[in-house]
Amino acid sequence: MTEQAVPAVRAAGLVKHYEGSDGDVEAVRGVDLEVQPGEIFGFLGPNGAGKSTTVRMLTTLLSITAGSAEVMGVDVAGEPDAVRRRIGVALQESGLDPRQTGRELLTLHGRLFGLDRAAAAARTQELLELVELEEAADRVTKGYSGGMQRRLDLAAALVHEPEVLFLDEPTTGLDPSSRLTVWDEVRRINGHGTTVFLTTQYLEEADQLCDRLAIIDDGLIVREGTPEDLKAELSGRRDGAAVSLDDVFLDATGRSRDRAAGEVQEVGA
Amino acid sequence: MNATIVLGIRSLREALRQPDALFMTMFIPIFFLIVNTGQAAEIFPSDSTGFLEGQGYGAFQLPITLLLAASFGMAALFLVEEIEGGYFDKLRAMPIPRYSMVLGRLVAEAVKCVVIASLIVLIALPFGIEIASGVPGFLLIVLLSALWGVVYAGFMQLIALKTRSAAATNSGGLIFFPLLFLTPNFVPRDKLTEPMEIAATFNPVTYLMEALRSLILTDLDWSKILPGFAVLAGLGLIMLLLNIRMIQRYD
Repeated sequence: MTEQAVPAVRAAGLVKHYEGSDGDVEAVRGVDLEVQPGEIFGFLGPNGAGKSTTVRMLTTLLSITAGSAEVMGVDVAGEPDAVRRRIGVALQESGLDPRQTGRELLTLHGRLFGLDRAAAAARTQELLELVELEEAADRVTKGYSGGMQRRLDLAAALVHEPEVLFLDEPTTGLDPSSRLTVWDEVRRINGHGTTVFLTTQYLEEADQLCDRLAIIDDGLIVREGTPEDLKAELSGRRDGAAVSLDDVFLDATGRSRDRAAGEVQEVGA
Repeated sequence: MNATIVLGIRSLREALRQPDALFMTMFIPIFFLIVNTGQAAEIFPSDSTGFLEGQGYGAFQLPITLLLAASFGMAALFLVEEIEGGYFDKLRAMPIPRYSMVLGRLVAEAVKCVVIASLIVLIALPFGIEIASGVPGFLLIVLLSALWGVVYAGFMQLIALKTRSAAATNSGGLIFFPLLFLTPNFVPRDKLTEPMEIAATFNPVTYLMEALRSLILTDLDWSKILPGFAVLAGLGLIMLLLNIRMIQRYD
């Protein structure tokens, strides 16, 4: 992780406008961020803040209204297929094909990423073992539990050994045990050198997993830094009082408490 | 093209895993063939009804049965289910040509329609329905039916991609009623009342139906067959271009 390294993810002045029924909707209003290779980067925000919209732009799923984005130095808008080869994506919904078995689904993904039949089958077996789904591999995914679906979704995003893994709320709706399993998987994947860009609403998750994080609110990034730095900064403003990441989040977004001191600093927006 | 074939095979597997839907695709059209023939066969006896060319009324009804079966494709419903469930975005995040996501399903639909049309004709043969144009005619019947299945599935996919809603896609499918029934489906076009004849003349499905009917009732008559293929070529090209345009612009 040097300053000269190409950022794993870079966004500059990223904007997304929708044509809504009530006119133009500004979902993302100018996001700047950089994620370094090898990091687990947390992207937090309240519902409707622009988290998923930002992720969808970074993963080529949504057009960019203004600004620019790069993944591993490749322009998202200009070379979407080159970006797609470098990223793995597990979206908010586990998004599995309900009529395929786990094995068929992973093999299909391998084939679509250009592996031949034998290589796709071998990679499938490897991933099934990694996410501990060998026993359920030949059952259709419709019958999988929520936790199994998430693990399979994670495995599907890893078929082509991506350099950057985007996880959009990977543990939403999971029971505590399944959540811990997903955390372990994320750490293990990151341990192999994969950069992880994680959106979450769970502050504990961000605190546990992320090297750095950014908080987005109303389409703008309002805080950015390591969890420790963000907590220290708020603690400083509160005369050294003990603060949690929840306090940082509430201070930044002002959702259910008054902001502790002064205006929210808009970092990089 | 590789991604199209891989996704096509997956769509076929998907269809096979929904045997109840496949059964209904066969059952409903055959049900209508039996009911319509049972109700009208007495009115149109084969020995005194010129347009039957010596065959029973069931032979005259077979084209609508084939077109109905080919219009019951599940491609668009599976597609919209995938859009609503989020798997479609998973596919969009892969480095595959956008068109393969819609073409894969259409290729699978063509294969499925070939099998279904062949089965329906084979089921009809023991009941006295003959294919007067022989084996070449049989092959052309299957081809025409399969191409119609692709055109109609393409149209339904457009609704699915535009609305991203299963309810809207289902409702859009009701267009097959005017398309298939504002045609000379009970009697030849020149025997229809004037308003119906005008409506049928403007309905492109009429020419497809007349092509199928000529293959069943008479020897190869290219003056009837070619307009059917021309309609399918025109509609097929339009549906293909619109599907590709829609998927390229999908945001």
